[in-house]
Amino acid sequence: MFLGRVAGTVWSTVKWPSAQGMKLLLVRPYRVGDLGPGAAPAPGATGSEPTDDLVVCADTLDAGPGDDVIVAFGHAARVAVSEKLAPGAKPSVPIDAAVVAVVDRVEIPR
Amino acid sequence: MIRGTVIGQVWATRKARGLDGQTLLLVAARDAEGRATGRLVVASDTLDARAGDDVTVAFGSGARIVLRPGAADNRDVLCDAAIAAIVEGAG
Repeated sequence: MFLGRVAGTVWSTVKWPSAQGMKLLLVRPYRVGDLGPGAAPAPGATGSEPTDDLVVCADTLDAGPGDDVIVAFGHAARVAVSEKLAPGAKPSVPIDAAVVAVVDRVEIPR
Repeated sequence: MIRGTVIGQVWATRKARGLDGQTLLLVAARDAEGRATGRLVVASDTLDARAGDDVTVAFGSGARIVLRPGAADNRDVLCDAAIAAIVEGAG
């Protein structure tokens, strides 16, 4: 998993049927230098800007641009997406990254 | 797996149900020489690691085994990174 900030949204009309209706976000991961000691002055914000390359992730938590989020990769991402499917449904969606939490607070001790 | 140092903790109220009750730590990855690579990972913690601790982080199915050791089926575990060990020394 990684910590990142939502930078935007991606639209697509032609996609795999099981991915229909899925919201896709662009998330920029934080790197170590982006977060100073004692980061996170306000809820939902770390007080700094991430600098890494963008990652496209599925979103089931209604995150929006400017939100700090945690993104999971691989099977964990499909498990997160399948929480929105019918009980017992297999997470066979072509997704390998998903927002799994909207961050309230990051605490980095000095 | 990677080796890194715990630098902090992350809190989230709005999250996938599968993350409920998990402690999420920020780990700064280190390279073979012990230098920080700049990469940050968020890992689930079951070992009570603290800021400043050197740790190893397991990914993927390895992380699922850390969170549910010995389970026959852990495919529903929502976690792709977990603290697997608190490191005392490396040579």
